Amino acid sequence: MKLSYYPGCSAHGTGRELDESTRELCNILDVELVDIEDWNCCGASSAHTVDHDLGLALAARNLAIAEKTADKVLTPCSACFARLASARHHILSEGQIKGVEEATGSAEVSHILSLFSQPELLEKMAEKIGEGLKGLKLVCYYGCLTSRPPEVTEALHPENPVEMDNILSALGADVMDWPYKTQCCGGSLTMTKDTVVEKLSGGILDMASRHGAEAVVTGCPMCFMNLERQWKGNTEGVGKMPIPVFYFTELMLLALKPEMAKGYFKRHLSDPSSILVSRDLT
Amino acid sequence: MVVGAGIGGMQASIDLANSGFKVYLVERDTAIGGRMAQLDKTFPTNDCSMCIISPKLIEVGKHPNIEILTNTELLGVEGDPGNFEALVKMHPRFVDLDKCTGCGECAKVCPVEVPNEYNMGIDGTRAIRKRYPQAIPAGYAIEKKGTSPCRDACPSHVRAQGYVALIAEGRFDEALKVIRKDLPFPAVCGRVCPHPCETACNRGDIDSPVAIQQLKRFVTDHEMKAGKAALPEVAADSGKKVAIIGGGPSGLSAAWFLRLKGHKAVVYESSSKAGGMLRYGIPDYRLPQDVLDKEIQTFTDLGVEINCNSKVGTDIQVDQLKKDFDAIYVACGAQKDRALNVEGQDAEGVFSGIKFLWEISEGRKQNIGEKVAVIGGGNTAIDAVRTAVREGAKEVTLIYRRTVNEMPADEMEIHDAEAEGVKYVFLAAPTKVLVEDGKVKGLEVIKMELGEADKSGRRRPVPIEGSEYTIELDSVIAAIGQVSDASFLDGTVLAPIVKRGWIECDSLSCETSIDGVFAGGDAFKPGIAIEAIAQGKETAVSIDRYLNGLDIKEGREWNPHLAPKPKTALVKKAERLKVPELDVSERIKNYQEVALEITAEQAIAEAKRCLNCGTCSECELCAEVCQANAIDYSMVEVDRQLEVGSVILAPGFDQFEAEELGEYGYGRWDNVVTSLDFERMLSATGPTKGHMLRPSDSKEPKKIGWIQCIGSRDKRKDRNYCSAVCCMFATKEAVIATDHAGGEIETTIFMMDLRATGKGFDEYCNRAKDKYGVRYVRSMISRVDQLPENKDVEVAYVNEEGKLISESFDMLVLSTGLKPAKSVAELSKRVGIELDSFGFAKTDPFRPMATSRPGVFVCGVLQGPKDIPETVAQASGAAAFATESIASARGTKISTPDITEERDISEEDMRIGVWVCNCGINIGSVVNVPEVAEYASDKANVVHSEGVLFACSQDNQDLMKKTIKEKGINRMVVASCTPRTHEPLFQDTLQDCGINKYLFSMANIREHCSWVHQQEPEKATEKAKFMVDMAIRNSRELQALHTAPQSLVHSAMVLGGGLAGMTAALQLANQGFTTCIVEKTEHLGGNLRKLRATHDGRDLRAYLKELIEKVEAHDKIDILCSTKLLKTDGFLGNFESTLEQTNGIKKRIKIEHGVTIVATGAKETTPTTFCYGESDDIVTQLTLDGIIADDETRIVTAKEVVMIQCVGSRNEERPYCSKVCCSQALKNALAIKELNPDTNVTILYRDMRSYGMKESLYEKARSMGVMFMRYDLDNLPQVEVGEEGVIVKHDLPRLGTVKIKTDLLALAAAIETNENQDISEILKIPKTNDGFFLEVHTKLGPVDFATDGVYMCGLAHGPKPVEETISQAAAAAARALTVLAQDMLMVGGQVSVVDTDKCAACLCCVRACPYNVPIISEEEGAAYINPAECRGCGVCASECPAKAIQLQHFTNNQIGSMLDILREEA
Repeated sequence: MKLSYYPGCSAHGTGRELDESTRELCNILDVELVDIEDWNCCGASSAHTVDHDLGLALAARNLAIAEKTADKVLTPCSACFARLASARHHILSEGQIKGVEEATGSAEVSHILSLFSQPELLEKMAEKIGEGLKGLKLVCYYGCLTSRPPEVTEALHPENPVEMDNILSALGADVMDWPYKTQCCGGSLTMTKDTVVEKLSGGILDMASRHGAEAVVTGCPMCFMNLERQWKGNTEGVGKMPIPVFYFTELMLLALKPEMAKGYFKRHLSDPSSILVSRDLT
Repeated sequence: MVVGAGIGGMQASIDLANSGFKVYLVERDTAIGGRMAQLDKTFPTNDCSMCIISPKLIEVGKHPNIEILTNTELLGVEGDPGNFEALVKMHPRFVDLDKCTGCGECAKVCPVEVPNEYNMGIDGTRAIRKRYPQAIPAGYAIEKKGTSPCRDACPSHVRAQGYVALIAEGRFDEALKVIRKDLPFPAVCGRVCPHPCETACNRGDIDSPVAIQQLKRFVTDHEMKAGKAALPEVAADSGKKVAIIGGGPSGLSAAWFLRLKGHKAVVYESSSKAGGMLRYGIPDYRLPQDVLDKEIQTFTDLGVEINCNSKVGTDIQVDQLKKDFDAIYVACGAQKDRALNVEGQDAEGVFSGIKFLWEISEGRKQNIGEKVAVIGGGNTAIDAVRTAVREGAKEVTLIYRRTVNEMPADEMEIHDAEAEGVKYVFLAAPTKVLVEDGKVKGLEVIKMELGEADKSGRRRPVPIEGSEYTIELDSVIAAIGQVSDASFLDGTVLAPIVKRGWIECDSLSCETSIDGVFAGGDAFKPGIAIEAIAQGKETAVSIDRYLNGLDIKEGREWNPHLAPKPKTALVKKAERLKVPELDVSERIKNYQEVALEITAEQAIAEAKRCLNCGTCSECELCAEVCQANAIDYSMVEVDRQLEVGSVILAPGFDQFEAEELGEYGYGRWDNVVTSLDFERMLSATGPTKGHMLRPSDSKEPKKIGWIQCIGSRDKRKDRNYCSAVCCMFATKEAVIATDHAGGEIETTIFMMDLRATGKGFDEYCNRAKDKYGVRYVRSMISRVDQLPENKDVEVAYVNEEGKLISESFDMLVLSTGLKPAKSVAELSKRVGIELDSFGFAKTDPFRPMATSRPGVFVCGVLQGPKDIPETVAQASGAAAFATESIASARGTKISTPDITEERDISEEDMRIGVWVCNCGINIGSVVNVPEVAEYASDKANVVHSEGVLFACSQDNQDLMKKTIKEKGINRMVVASCTPRTHEPLFQDTLQDCGINKYLFSMANIREHCSWVHQQEPEKATEKAKFMVDMAIRNSRELQALHTAPQSLVHSAMVLGGGLAGMTAALQLANQGFTTCIVEKTEHLGGNLRKLRATHDGRDLRAYLKELIEKVEAHDKIDILCSTKLLKTDGFLGNFESTLEQTNGIKKRIKIEHGVTIVATGAKETTPTTFCYGESDDIVTQLTLDGIIADDETRIVTAKEVVMIQCVGSRNEERPYCSKVCCSQALKNALAIKELNPDTNVTILYRDMRSYGMKESLYEKARSMGVMFMRYDLDNLPQVEVGEEGVIVKHDLPRLGTVKIKTDLLALAAAIETNENQDISEILKIPKTNDGFFLEVHTKLGPVDFATDGVYMCGLAHGPKPVEETISQAAAAAARALTVLAQDMLMVGGQVSVVDTDKCAACLCCVRACPYNVPIISEEEGAAYINPAECRGCGVCASECPAKAIQLQHFTNNQIGSMLDILREEA
């Protein structure tokens, strides 16, 4: 399988673990990634909110380049996925995007969640896991951008996504259903209205701990950052329970190739090692 | 033909049948009743739904002119109106309704539990069942999807689903009984069978197949521990003898099944013990000898004669057998190994697989050395390697020429062998045995690769040239196939059946070329044990047929209808049973059984994984317990052609699938249910017996929320219409829940608008709010979450002030919307009618029941979402439409029962016959029926008394008639079940014998005795005696009663010449009945004269013109305008009315009519608020309608138009909703926007009640920019008329005060009834508090009155739009037709009669009668009760202080004689 790969800016900064673990997983699972040459900003955060056309055009340029390489574009970041998928949806439903007419929408846009939850890859993983995740009690946090709006994301269960649940269950974790899978984390308000994020992300961690989760798992660098920050910075408020946060790709790697994953955890704002040690997972 | 037997279909059928038409009522389900039968209570009266629908069920069930076709679907309709050919498919019920007594014993034994669809899947029901206790037809039905794949895959067709289901219920002995129906070797096959059943198991698609084989073994272990095997019953000795050559599985199996048929079966086995390859070919670690011995013991116990050490050809001569026996089965097996055919194969140390295993099992050690190779890939090869391990070999290798994927051996065995240290060499074949000193030294093998597929479908191994290599070995075991050796038959009479050592026979019937000689098993074709057993079983069938001189081959092919794959999406994964095994280190040392026993709990858990693919498991237990012999598995689908004149479709609705809207958590959160789920929870017949228990912990909820519009008014799921019933439905559920909880409960309904548009609905909601504390919250739902601690449901919502609020509930009910039944998409194609984009039938507002295909009509939800009264009205209306064009056929197809001429018994001696029914075991197992019958026989006048198994069965009916005639019986007493369902049957029996049917008396010793006193059989028997005695006493007092025909006037009077009156009159006139329209004004037309267009733009003025023309031109319609009713006398069928005409000279007219239709209408009120009358710019909506039509400029130039809704409606003065104003306002707003899009239109409303399809108007108005502002009674908009014109001010919670200077203010003035007090008094018809006429029953009698022969329609009944008025007018006509269609009315019978001598004319009866029947006769000076009007309720008789009134058939003497027994006892 050969895919165009759009890492996005988080992959170079706060979301390095997500990017690196994704690349490693693809390597293990025989998925070939070809980085989009000269990729540019996807338009998330600010561009699309201030200029609709610019927001679409930024994403479309990436698509146009990617289409030349493969019939599928993969990205590890939820926000990038939302922007690229929106641009493609726009092209397919309303026609070309001004200034980037060469983008045809021929390449399908996938988030790594939909890639790794494909039955073939799940089977492949099952063959390769060692002891697995040993019943680690997890809740999966999807955030808003991988499943909604359903007409763009083509999610089958936009209100109750299960891809991450399926992947981690297959790898031996005890994944619990919980109501806050798609609750808002506060997104980029972390820059402007910190208290909102504190309340929302804190609430998510609180709900996770009420379910007895040992960790919260996500696939979005923005969510990851917001959740981690709450835990680190807020020891008295709603989110006071010390619950570590993982990228699901980190845990996948932990199950498939543990020595690779370990290096990531030190970089977390909150070091999750203790929970892994207590489960004999490191 | 009526399709769909819900309340709509039933009502239409009743009206059609009662007006002289034969009706086929086609229903897909096994019972009639539809959705209404699932409801607990109905709004607005809180009547029990079942209580009010039950009489309808019975009426339909026993109507001579309604033929109910259940389990039936309509395939197509050909032809033209009046001459349709309808093709229906009648699916088998597998229960003969003529025989089924509804006793329910079958369901008690049925092992298959399936979700109970009637209870919305909350609990389970059985594969054989009655849909609900009151179901009509009252018989049971089997749900059979087809044969399950496990049974199909099994060569012997063992009913795996059946015994697995029994194991799931812990009924292990019965499970074994079911297995033994097809398999006499359960213990063996439970261990050694390669279980093709599991390969076929659909569960494998979800996780892994059910461990069917292990379950089979479990029940045999269970039986062996308990002791002796329970063997099936053997038929009486047939006197025939069959010889069986070979005591292996096939021979023994044949012997078993022959023995069951009563034949003598003698087995000749050459070895010292029976069992054949089971004993000698299968190692003990798989099948212990003692297990086999015990199993073979069951054969001996059954009476099979087994002669061991009896080699045919040596010890017994074949020719002798042929002489001595009636038939022979040759099943001598195939015990020789196929040779290796390589150089060195005869060396010492080369063994053959079967022989090797045989020798070991006989206890003879074989010298195999330390290094052993086994050649082959089948089960024998695996048995050989594992045996070699146990024999102490150190290095055991299995060499196979293909790969592991092609190995025929069982997968588990391959793994087990590997675990025991066996090494596999794949893609290799021996080319030479290396020999030294005559002994094996090694093996030369050649590598292989897979080539093209061969005819077995497996890829053929091809040697790779030059790839030979050698392996060092001490011995080689060849297990590459078996060969038959039937040479012992050479030279005997059976020699012709042998060819090259193999037996030749028919593969299906096992017949050979010699008459009376059959053959099978490995000797014919080597296979697995179950195949040999299956062939034995089939042979037994052949031999039995042969011995009985029957056709051997007829119907022998196994060709079942297979069950479709079950839906697996919602099935939760569950791990397959892990069978405990003996530890490897332990087991390789000995031959102990490797697979260990499992526990009962494990077995039950595993059995519960079964998906019940076929639903009915074909276990046949129901047939075994059915004493009425009603179960008939041979029933098949039958296609039937029906000739019909019209078709009415009433397939009903399905609820929107709440799981489609994931955000509400249905199916995900435990305590979120749908409104229909909740309805079943409230119902006394529901899964919780009416106890309100929340699903997660069965606690009584103290706080319940409802969310409205789930799948309604929702564009996302293409459901952007209003389901019309949910607001009331939820309100009713909240009220009933409050009652259930004794008031200790909080109820909240989250909604957008409260749409309580029907009659009495607003009052109901006000009561819900004020008396029951139901809280209505206008809101938008943000989230629905389940809290982890207690599984409470947290609802986050935004209220009217825009605040986000979170609130927890114990339980949340989703008010799921209505959509057309699933069947509609297909049905519409088959019938050829057009549907709208939502799947509802396309109809015309002026002919609301007519579809796009002439002659095909609809009613109920198929026409659009609606509640029960509207459905009932529409159903009656559809009946009128359906008969309009076929009126000439009235009375031609109906059957009148042949009535035997009645014998006058008044001079005869009293001769009573008593029958006491066992009702199978329903009564008989508690009440001592023979004792009761004996007791009755001693009573005076009783000339016959007997106990019967089923009094109602057809054969017993015939016997009873015979007895009645023979013994001259002239009174009949039956003690059995309920008269509710069975009295008419026995009355008919009596009538058939020429005895008046009123001379029948019944005692209900089932419901009233055996069912309630199950624990006290002796007392129950005593009580039954009393009850029978009472019935006998009653019987002695009975009098023959007769009804008398009375003529009637075949014409109608219609009061009111508006839309309703004209529509009804036209309908009646078109059907040939003279009708007189009495209109008090000068013109026909009523309110319709003021209306411009329907809400969907149809021209009402043109329609009115056309309608008046038709009415005026009709020769059967007389029109009297400016005329009013002064007086009506008479009764049903014979009314006489006095009218006064006032145009010109006043004159009085008298008319005679059989029925009366009241269509006196209503009117728009004149507003008294909002400055109405102070400005020309303030008008009513009706006036605005006219302005839009006639004064376009005024609209186009207006900058602002404001509308205020509910002006005079829904307040203290008029608490009801005027129903039409919201859609009228929307229609007018849209018209204004279309004339001038720049005109601002603002609608001030309380609830936007654009119910049903009118929701699209609301949606369109919003999209066109019409503004909507809500107001409440405590925050009314203010209107000022000043110099600057009309100003409307209103305070909004989020925007503050809004001020609009309007060019036109339209007030939605309330609808109010016309002056109707005089009509109410003249016709004796009651009114509601609001002044509209009150129907006999708000739910099921929407156009009828308690006074017979008087009906109503239109605004006189309550506010309603044009299309509903038309439906209702047609309904009133249909109800009237049920009377007018009769040639004669039958009167009398069970009615009250007055003894004028005793009557004091005190008026008690006049006041008490609910139907206003008794009058004081002037001539007699006493009360007179007209038998034509009397309903036989008996209220007058009980009220009469002088005992002057007797209700016939319930006279004081009768009641008194029955009560005497109590006095005598005391």
